[in-house]
Formats: sequence, C-alpha cells, structure tokens
Amino acid sequence: MHIIEEIKKNELISNPSEIQKICLDKLKLNPLPNIKSEYWRLSNKSKFSSFLDHSNKNKESKVNLPYKKASQNIIRLIIGENNSINIEKENYSIKKLKEIEIVDYIKKNVSNSDHNDHWSDLLNHCLSSKENILGLNISGNKIPPLEIFSASSPDSLNAKTLILFFEKNSKVDLIQINLGNKNSSLSQSTYLCLEENTLVNHGVVSYGESKSNLLNSLNVIQKTNSEYSLGSLHFKFNYARFEIRINQLDGNAKTNIKGIQITKNNDQIATYTTMQFNGPNGFLDQINKSLADDKSHAVFEGSIIVPKIAQKTDASQLSRNLLLSRHAKIDTKPQLEIIADDVKCKHGATISQLNEEELFYMRSRGLTLAEASKLQLSSYIQEIISSIPISKDRWDLLDKILKEN
Amino acid sequence: MVSENLVKDVVSEPYKYGFVTDIETEKISKGLNEDTIRLISEKKEEPKYLLNFRLNAFRKWQKMKEPNWADLGYKKIDYQDIIYYSAPKQKEKISSLDEVDPKLLETFDKLGIPLTEQKKLTNVAVDAVFDSVSIATTFRKELAEHGVIFCSISEAVKDYSHLIEKYLGSVVPANDNYFAALNSAVFSDGSFVYIPKGVKCPMDLSSYFRINSGDSGQFERTLIIAEEYSSVSYLEGCTAPMFDTNTLHAAVVELIALDDASIKYSTVQNWYAGNEEGVGGIFNFVTKRGKCLGKRSKISWSQVETGSAITWKYPSCLLLGEESVGEFYSVALTNNLQQADTGTKMIHIGPRTKSTIVSKGISAGSSVNSYRGLVKMGSKATGSRNYSQCDSMLIGDQAAANTFPYIQSQQPNSEIEHEASTCRISEDQLFYLQSRGIEFEEAVSMMVSGFCRDVFNQLPMEFAAEADKLLALKLEGSVG
Repeated sequence: MHIIEEIKKNELISNPSEIQKICLDKLKLNPLPNIKSEYWRLSNKSKFSSFLDHSNKNKESKVNLPYKKASQNIIRLIIGENNSINIEKENYSIKKLKEIEIVDYIKKNVSNSDHNDHWSDLLNHCLSSKENILGLNISGNKIPPLEIFSASSPDSLNAKTLILFFEKNSKVDLIQINLGNKNSSLSQSTYLCLEENTLVNHGVVSYGESKSNLLNSLNVIQKTNSEYSLGSLHFKFNYARFEIRINQLDGNAKTNIKGIQITKNNDQIATYTTMQFNGPNGFLDQINKSLADDKSHAVFEGSIIVPKIAQKTDASQLSRNLLLSRHAKIDTKPQLEIIADDVKCKHGATISQLNEEELFYMRSRGLTLAEASKLQLSSYIQEIISSIPISKDRWDLLDKILKEN
Repeated sequence: MVSENLVKDVVSEPYKYGFVTDIETEKISKGLNEDTIRLISEKKEEPKYLLNFRLNAFRKWQKMKEPNWADLGYKKIDYQDIIYYSAPKQKEKISSLDEVDPKLLETFDKLGIPLTEQKKLTNVAVDAVFDSVSIATTFRKELAEHGVIFCSISEAVKDYSHLIEKYLGSVVPANDNYFAALNSAVFSDGSFVYIPKGVKCPMDLSSYFRINSGDSGQFERTLIIAEEYSSVSYLEGCTAPMFDTNTLHAAVVELIALDDASIKYSTVQNWYAGNEEGVGGIFNFVTKRGKCLGKRSKISWSQVETGSAITWKYPSCLLLGEESVGEFYSVALTNNLQQADTGTKMIHIGPRTKSTIVSKGISAGSSVNSYRGLVKMGSKATGSRNYSQCDSMLIGDQAAANTFPYIQSQQPNSEIEHEASTCRISEDQLFYLQSRGIEFEEAVSMMVSGFCRDVFNQLPMEFAAEADKLLALKLEGSVG
C-alpha cells in the first residue's frame, strides 16, 4: 500500500493543486475505506492492496491505441494527451471547460461526499494532476460520436478524470474506453451532468492485461426530461470495481443501465450501483449480468432509493448471473429502499449455469458441446453489448470476448 | 385523499392484549453478572454442565458488541436495568391444572389459550410460559402414550438431561451472535419437544409466551428434536401488556430434523408494539435456526409478525442432509413507529437441497419494514435450488419498505431465483370493490388478505384463523 503510506506521510505530491490539497486533507486522517462497511466488505483485500501498490506517475508513456483512427467522423480524445479541444460548428459545439469551472465543480462534489461511498473519487482527485483532467461542455444535437480513452502505463498507478456537461437539448453518443496495462492500476472518475431534454447514450468498455487493476467511478446527474442509457462491459482485470451513482435530480427522467462483467482465472470484478430518485415520475430499467469462470469472483450490489417525493417511480432491476466453474463465486445483492407509496418497483436475481435443455437441443442438431456453449454465451453477452454505442463495427467486442474464453 | 385517511384509521386499531395480570411474583434483583447466572441456575437446580454452558456464554457475551448493521434506531439498552428472572409465585409442585393460580388461568383464558383440559376439542397441546417460567403444559399424558416428550425446558433438564446435553447449543452456538449469547447465559424457560423415531405427532404442539412484568426481560429457549421418519407441527404465540418502558425479549429456537423428519414451526407474534408516538413496546431480538441434519428432512418456518416495537429476527435453515428442504413463509405488518428487520437465511450445504422463501411485508404509518435474507450455495450443494419472492405493500407515504437480499453461490450446478415487487392498495381497486357493494373496511381487508394468501395457506388451521383475526384487528377494526 505504497500510496497510502505516502498520503499518511504527506509525501504523495510535492506541489499539490487546490483540489488535490482538499482531497489529501480529507484522506490523511483516514486514508482507507472501512473494509467492514457494506460497500467494501466483498472487496478482495489482497487484490485491493495490489491496486495501491504501484507508484503514481503523472507523466506516462504514450497510449498505444488498439484501433487506428478510422476515417469515420468520430471525435477521439485521450485523457492526458490532447486536452485542448475547441470545436464550434453550426449544429454543435464542444468546448473545453475553464479551469475554475472544473475546480469549483469538483470542490462542490467533494465537500458533501461520504468518505466510504466516494473513496474512489477522493483518491482519484488526490492523484490526478491538471493534465489528467478533461472537462468539456457539449451542446447541440448533431454531434459526431465521441470516443474517449484513458489508459494506465505499465508498472504504475494512473488517475484520470473526465467531466462532461451536456447543455439543454443536446444529443450525444459517447463511448469511454479504459485500458489497463500490464502490472498497472487505473483510477478513473467520470462526472456527467445532463441538463433538461438531453439524450446521452454512454458506453463503457474496460479491459486489461495481466495483473491490471481498475477503480472506475461514474457519477451521473440527470435533470428533467433527460434520458441516459449506459451499456458497460468489464473484463480481463485482476481487480476491477465499477461504481455507478445516478441521481435523478427532479424526477421525470429516464435511465437505462445494461452491464456485464466477465471474470476468469483469479479475477475479481465488482459492480456497485446506486440509483437515487429525487423527484416524481422517474424511470429505471436495469440489467446486470455476470459470468464467472475458473476461480474468479463476480460481485453485484445494486440499490434503488425511492424517497417520499419520488411518487410514480417505475423502477426495475435484474441481476442475472452465470456460474461456469465449481471454484468460482458470485455474490449479488439487489436492494430496494422505498418510502413513496405510489410506485412500481421490482427486482429479480438469478444464478444458474448454461441451460442444459438448450445445449441438448443444439447438440441434437449436430453442434459440438463447445460450439453450443459458445453460441449460448454469445447470445447471453450480446444482449448487453448491443446497447454499447458505436461499438458495432469498430469494436468486435463479442469476438474478442469469445476468443478469450 | 379521503380513502387514504380511512385506511390509516383502519390500521390504527388499539392493542387488545395490553392488560396486566395482578399476581404475586418472585423476582430477583436487577442487573447481570456471574452471580445472577449462578442464582438462576441454582433456582432451577441445574446440573453443572448447564451452569458452565451459561457462564461460558456470558463470558463470550461480555466480549461481544451489540450489532448495528440492521440500521434499527432504538435507544441503548441498559442490560444492568433488567430483571433476568421473574416467576409467578406458586406452590412447590403442581400435579394438575386445578392447582394453578386461577388468576393465571384467567389470563390465558382472556388471551384465548385453551389451558383447561375441557377444551380438548381444539386438539392442541399448549405449553404456557408466563414471564420467566412455564406454568403448565397440557395433554402431556396423551402425548406420552405416543412417546412424544413435550414439557418445559427446565423439566427436560431434569428428566432428559442426556438429550439436552447433546443438543442444546448444537444449532445456535452460545457465541453465535450478541443476543443468542445473552440468551444462552440467562435463559429461564421455554419448551422442549422430542418426537421419537417414526412417530407422527398426533396433535399440534404449541407454546404461548406472555410477558407480564414491565421490567423483566423474557429469555426463553425452545429445542425441538425430530428423530428419523417423524413429523411435528409446532405453533408459537406471544403477547405482552402495555407499558411505557421497553421490554427486552431475546429468545433462541433450535430445531433438529434427522433423516426423513419434518418440522413445521409457525409463529404468530403479537407483542405490544408501543403507542403511536413509539413509546413502550417489546424489543424482539430472536435467533431461530433449524438444522436439516438428515437426508430428505424438512424444516418449514411460517410466521405472522404484527407486534413488537423492534423486530430483529431471521429464522434460518442449515440444509446439510441430501435432498433436505427448507421453507420460509412470512407476513410482517408494521404500523406507527414500528421497525421490523426480518427475513431468513437458507444455507445450502448438502447436494440437491431445496428452499423456498415467500415474504410479504405491509408497512403503514411511519414504520420501517425490511426484508433481509441470505441464500448461500456452498461448493458441495450440487443440483440445489432456491426460489425467493418478496413483496411489499405500502400504506400511506410515510412508511418505508426495504429489501436486502444477499445471494451467494459457489456451485455452478445450482439455481437461485429471487424476485421482489412493491405495490399499494390502489384507489382503483378500492373503488371497484366498493362499487360492488363491499364496505370500505372489508375491501381493504380483502386486499390485504389476498396479498398474504400465499403465506396464510401455509399456516396450520388453528393458526390461520388466529392470523386472519390478528390482521383483522390491526387492519380492519370491527370487521373480521
């Protein structure tokens, strides 16, 4: 826990920025989250400490992108490399946020954040230097798809922060790719603010290499009549933790979440979602899938909070899990906390294996067991992957996963 | 919102069992230390192993911390301000019910419990527990003819010491949790049931718990052993008078089912829940657990929880034997400022084990009603299955309904399904029923009763009626 020692001794950063200073002060007294708390108790302790074992490097080697920039009309950004973007077109504009705006925003978020629940963000802000914070203001409805990368360099811990403000009536397809390098840790914090009438299709694809770790935190604020759809995929990480916090500020908003995590070998991948309805007529449709093989461990904890003000909320949450090996482990906890009485809330969870009848059917039609299993897995995964925007042609995600398996 | 107010009125029906029986009692002084435990053990003339069991539990309890994970808000319990032993004074040894203090019989009569043997028609054997001691057990002779042992646990300690020594604490160890450790240290009485091999218990057994004194806690312990190929249905009821103070009730129930045995354990819990401002009421911290030790054994919990200021209760099944079955059916109703955190734990250890969970929560007033349940598939539980269903009904916009299912699986060849939903008594449905000439109160009752049907169907006949009546009391006012 190299980083924690440095935080304690005040040696982490020689010349901290204002935000770094605030967050360091917050963490100094109590640098680690309470591992006995509900939010952290399932985290594998040795894996978590391996996340913190690398030293923090702000200057990293150039990111080796898996796909060359195609001729397609896609805006590609790499956090930490080309942050100076300023596009002003007839139908849309993408402008860099001013530094003061970024500082104010993070300061506001940090000031009322709980130590345990927002620990990942606090750590991120301690570590991420000015160059590694990308803040954009996006408006318009004919915006070309955005592709935003963040990556860690080998043998180090990198922190990247992304802040996106979507102006009223904007409409965006956005894909975020988190790449883990060998023996590295990546801390990614993302903030999305959706103004009224915005429509955001957000895809998050995270994959690593051997012994890479990820702490991915996503905070979304939705104003009225906004619609936010998330499709996420996490695989090939020694340790990954994906925290999603969505707040429908005044209700009357729509949220769709589809996520999948695929664990193999000795991996642990966990997804924690918190859905807060703070106004009436909110809508949520969530499905989270896990696929656990070998000796791996997949975790899902989802909570839906419906206070008194959020009448007529319609929320459903489904956790579907496939356990493929005798030594793998799945933990799932979809929870509801409801006070408003005129609501429709339901959740469900299943843990099972591949459907034997379906396998039998396919085999009776001449497919081998391996082919039949692959076919069933691909349909299981496809449901989620199909909701990740702009992935279809450029990212052969399904092939990639099936090859790995 | 006329109808909403009406629903609220209907829900707040006064507690009918809140009277106090004025009877001379023997109490020991307040406080808890090793001497208190020695005193209780001495009063009950217990053998040495039991005293050691108690002292061992007490020492462990002292090192434990009161659990706070359930997020229940209650003022700190002062464990030194509780009387740990209180018993109605009576003559040395009673040979028949005629010698029982008529006041006591009257109390149970008032509660509708048939202690006098003329009421044989009901065909239920009752063990009545008043504060810390069991005052009477009916139908003992008839049961003995079948080899069934049904008596208070203090008698069992004297007469069937080998069984107690073998099984006490084998399902809920003394250091299992804070309240179980406290109970193991100071338990005063409770029921003991032993069903021999191959016997189907000829009648339902029941125990009735009554707290009468305001400053004493009730710590009873129930132990049920079902030998191979036997079966039993056991009912449990509870009430308490209305006091402004909070009374602690920390019970432990242990069930053991051997090969092909089946135990059905039903509870109708109607402790005093405190008044509208949340003053008084019972703190109900109970550990109930069954061990399906044998092959094809079955343990079924059904419960109707309507009382207590605070309920903290998770009747569980350890499914060890091959093809053993665990069931949990629950209705929990909370009103005013009541808080209930209840659910179950189904721990699948043996292969091809099955479990079913059906939980219905109704929250009214400003109450908090949470379902908290664990389903765990161990690595050897091949071919096991679980199905859980948790439904909540909300009445009014101040009540909270929470669901916290914990699901863990380490066995690919097993299936777990969980579903939960939330609903309310909708105005449309009420309007429809009323337009068909059904009174408002009856319409509400029909809807609540329909909501709880899956669980009521699982209750034994005698209890189903009582449960319906109880919900009627809490929900329907005069209509029943």
